[in-house]
Amino acid sequence: MAEDVNSREIYEFLKTRIGARFRTWLQICSHCGLCANTCHYYIANGNEPGMIPSYKVRHLLEILKRKGRVDRKYLETVYHTVYHECNMCRRCTLYCPFGIDIALMISLLRSMLFSQGIAPEGLVKAIENYKKFGNQMAVTEEDWVDTIEWCEEEMAEELLGLKIPIDKKGARIMYTVNAREPMFYPQDIMEVAKIFHVAGEDWTVPRKEGWDDTNLAMFCGDLKTARLIVENTFKRAEELEVEKIAITE
Amino acid sequence: MDFYSFLYTMAHGPLLWISFLTFILGSLLRIILYVNLSRKKDKITHQHFNLKYVLMSLFRWILPLNRTVAKNPIFTILGYIFHICLIVVPIWYVGHISLWEESRFGWTWASIPDEWADRMTLVFLAIALFFLLRRIFSRDIRKISTLSDYFLLVVTALPFMTGYFLSHATLDGVPFLGDYMELIHILSGEFMLILIPFTKLSHFVLFLFSRGATAIEFGRRGYTV
Ligand code: HEM
Ligand code: SF4
Ligand code: SF4
Repeated sequence: MAEDVNSREIYEFLKTRIGARFRTWLQICSHCGLCANTCHYYIANGNEPGMIPSYKVRHLLEILKRKGRVDRKYLETVYHTVYHECNMCRRCTLYCPFGIDIALMISLLRSMLFSQGIAPEGLVKAIENYKKFGNQMAVTEEDWVDTIEWCEEEMAEELLGLKIPIDKKGARIMYTVNAREPMFYPQDIMEVAKIFHVAGEDWTVPRKEGWDDTNLAMFCGDLKTARLIVENTFKRAEELEVEKIAITE
Repeated sequence: MDFYSFLYTMAHGPLLWISFLTFILGSLLRIILYVNLSRKKDKITHQHFNLKYVLMSLFRWILPLNRTVAKNPIFTILGYIFHICLIVVPIWYVGHISLWEESRFGWTWASIPDEWADRMTLVFLAIALFFLLRRIFSRDIRKISTLSDYFLLVVTALPFMTGYFLSHATLDGVPFLGDYMELIHILSGEFMLILIPFTKLSHFVLFLFSRGATAIEFGRRGYTV
């Protein structure tokens, strides 16, 4: 049965990750509704009661109560809630008298769904790319270096002596980008290079994986890959002995 | 001994002990269980523990100095008044203090004037009624309410209602209720105490930990705690 879900696995997954905070939040939420008008999904949907933050985490309690015995259809409802009704911004928590962290519980539900192979297609593809190429757009090292060199040449016509130093050891700043930039928006890299050049900044970009500062794995709760992505960046920073890592945008 | 005398004796003796001990030990147990589990599973809280954030957050939220008061002033101010009455009246009502004084402990402390206790009880009941109506009639609150939310609101209000009836002999002319109001009052109070550690009412103490944990997490990221 392709439609089957592994109840025991779901329950174990959640149980090992439910700490004192989650347990307490699920119990003490007073259902006071003070978080309602703090959520942009609630407001944007004409004050729709179904979008109240506290209501969205009912799934977590429900799955725990049922000891993971839920069907695929139920998980699809959960999927809809955690991907289409909450972007884990944490604004509601700023207003909850108990400081209940709804976003953290939504994130746990996303992780659980990911463990059952349920995640948005785009994110799954990006995760494969991160694992293979170290960036979400599957840019190869060769293409990355080519793009940087091309950016440098283009800009050098405008600003004499402009350089985009690759792998410069001991630079002050290691600059990282969104992988969409070398793919679709190289002009963004050029603009930044201009600023660094004029400011006389001592900067560099790494040649190997670690230059993509997006972390889409985090959004579907794939913490293993999320960790790998961050580790790549830190590894480059340590190798290059830079003082700071700067990220784009 | 008839059933009533039996219940009366129980309510004044063993049940009183049981309810107070359940409330106190149960709440302590909840604290111990929280800390224990948190040490094992909430590593972030302990790795980044920061007393300053915790205290700042508690200060802002125990007093009405937080952003929710500004956003939802009416409901939050009612909530604060609700809780002040809830805590002050049972502890500082002169009738209760004299019971403590007569008890084996012989404890006594200053009381609030009777009129205060009266007015606070009425205010408390009015707010409780408002909360109940809000739960029933507000589309939002109805959506997130569970059966236990309605039930616990009634459980919390009952000792106050019966206490008011008892001290004013309001229903003395009514059969049964007139005769048994004292018993009903005591039993309802005991029932509430027993339920506190095992329901969402445990928020009265777990709130400290929940706020604290979030204050540590938000504080270390530079958000408002
Ligand atoms: C034994 C002590 C307490 C009891 C029996 C109690 C009881 C209740 C009840 C019945 C409600 C539900 C009101 C509703 O339906 O909206 C409530 C709500 C609430 N309680 Fe308590 N409470 C206690 C102590 C505390 C303490 C110490 C705090 C911490 C500051 C607290 C914070 C809240 C909050 C934030 C709400 C929801 C919003 C509001 O009503 O303002 N409570 N409590
Ligand atoms: S504000 Fe907090 S306690 Fe109130 S309903 Fe929302 S999550 Fe629950
Ligand atoms: S964390 Fe989710 S539920 Fe809370 S305000 Fe943001 S989008 Fe709404």
